[in-house]
Amino acid sequence: MVFSWGGGECRRRLNSRRFVGCPINVPSSTFSPPVQTSNRLAAPSLSAGAIPRRIRVVDADVHHNVRAKEDLFPYLARVHRERLIEYGLPRNSGIHQANGGWRGARADTFDAGEDVDPRSNFGMFQQKLMDGCGIDLAILQVELTPSLVALADVDYSAGLIRAVNDWSLEHWVAKDPRYRLSLTVPMHDPVEAVKEIERLGDHPAVVSVYVVCGSTRLYGKREYDRVYAACVERGLSVSLHFSNEGSGMNPPPTAAGFPTYYAETYLIRPQFYQAHLSSFLFEGTFEKFPALTVVFCESGFGWVPSFRWRADMAWKELRMQTPWVKRLPSEYIEQHIRFTTQPFEETEPPGAVDQIVTWMNGARTLLYSSDFPHWDFDPPDVVPQRLAPEVRRQILAENALASYPKLARLGGILP
Amino acid sequence: MSATGPTAHVVCRIDELSPGARKIVEIAGRSIGVFQLEDGRYYALRNRCPHRGAPLCEGRRTGLYTAAEPYRLAFERDGEILRCPWHGWEFDLTTGRTVCMPESVRVKSYRVGVEPPPETSVEHFKVSARGGNVVVWTGESLSVRDCG
Repeated sequence: MVFSWGGGECRRRLNSRRFVGCPINVPSSTFSPPVQTSNRLAAPSLSAGAIPRRIRVVDADVHHNVRAKEDLFPYLARVHRERLIEYGLPRNSGIHQANGGWRGARADTFDAGEDVDPRSNFGMFQQKLMDGCGIDLAILQVELTPSLVALADVDYSAGLIRAVNDWSLEHWVAKDPRYRLSLTVPMHDPVEAVKEIERLGDHPAVVSVYVVCGSTRLYGKREYDRVYAACVERGLSVSLHFSNEGSGMNPPPTAAGFPTYYAETYLIRPQFYQAHLSSFLFEGTFEKFPALTVVFCESGFGWVPSFRWRADMAWKELRMQTPWVKRLPSEYIEQHIRFTTQPFEETEPPGAVDQIVTWMNGARTLLYSSDFPHWDFDPPDVVPQRLAPEVRRQILAENALASYPKLARLGGILP
Repeated sequence: MSATGPTAHVVCRIDELSPGARKIVEIAGRSIGVFQLEDGRYYALRNRCPHRGAPLCEGRRTGLYTAAEPYRLAFERDGEILRCPWHGWEFDLTTGRTVCMPESVRVKSYRVGVEPPPETSVEHFKVSARGGNVVVWTGESLSVRDCG
């Protein structure tokens, strides 16, 4: 497999020289294309006498964004740039539902002014999230993705996605060694999705592939297999995040129609994940890709024990229809699916959540996430102090290190 | 193994249970299904599904659906799988084991045969009513544990 930074403008902008100076501390020779894909991210090099510090907090779901469409211009093919100039960024079409907080974000993150999207404020992220919350590694999932991935014109969609990925690597990842990127792919067109994974999936900071729940076809369907094969080949996990249900080409967010208010949208999310999870399980995705991990971001997790039990029940009764499913569904879920914590379940009584964590083996399957800078943000101390210290460590960092193969190459030591 | 050893219970004359047929009988206070497969083999299972107590032996006899890899369906062992009439759990008629969890969930399986034994071959008693009776033995330990 030959590593490539793409062609044309992208090749010039994303040349190997820039990564020599990037703070990921990888030997420059590693980035002279072509190179082999394995061992792309070496263990972090430490200056003499430095004391290695363990990674203590990994944030698996953080949302940055471009400030304006002009940010993407340098990364776009001329024809797509003209279209962007003329018509602007695509909107998440649909029902114009209000979000929460202030414009969907924490009201205390508008440091650069009322009209500057806090998701685009790099300095504020460093101050209020990375330093302020003690995040050692954060996985970026760009805010713009939902607007780009459901376009009927998949070529334009793929062009915009390439641009936002290139922009993220240059303007966020390259500027702070604590950032990793979840690579947006045009999942509506698996062929194009694979091309993007082939183009950037070997970048040392790309640890997963970012896919949203809104889809025309459930993600266990066999046409997506080529995407998962490309992921597994490069040690990338798949990160599944809600969004885009009912927008663009996608069907409504529920089979019974559209919700009216955001609280409804908030509540119905688990069904998106349940639909895709059912598909993964019974299409045999994890039989086909035993090394694949799928991270469910912001799915909630209180539903997981119930789903596991129901899935096992369904399999015992209906096994004969999908005999390639060799094990109890709960075993596949425990091995292959991870769940981010935010928004952390608020049970009554509060301690009841501990039982949920036990039922889903959260000590292995939960990954801390903040969702910064969204209004329903969770700081790391959302993980209850009453849990055993080793369980907290696993949820805050070690499960993430085990769930993204390329993070594991850090050996648990800060980059 | 009970202290008194296995007890033989006559189910019927062999000409009363034809190949492919079954008979559900009451033996020692238990309902037991006795099956003769098309090839002449006999099997007997307790007529109670360990899942929800359904009359298991009233379920459809079918084969085993398998797949070496996703989507590659195959159908094997025609007639050797008993599907519970209530929730569809599959049981291996020849062992009493479930297909989904063969190591942990099974139904009691009984030894069954013909007594007195036919004088010649299996083929002989398939076509003859002179071989004797279909007999189920209870009170003996088989390799299959009774989870029912």
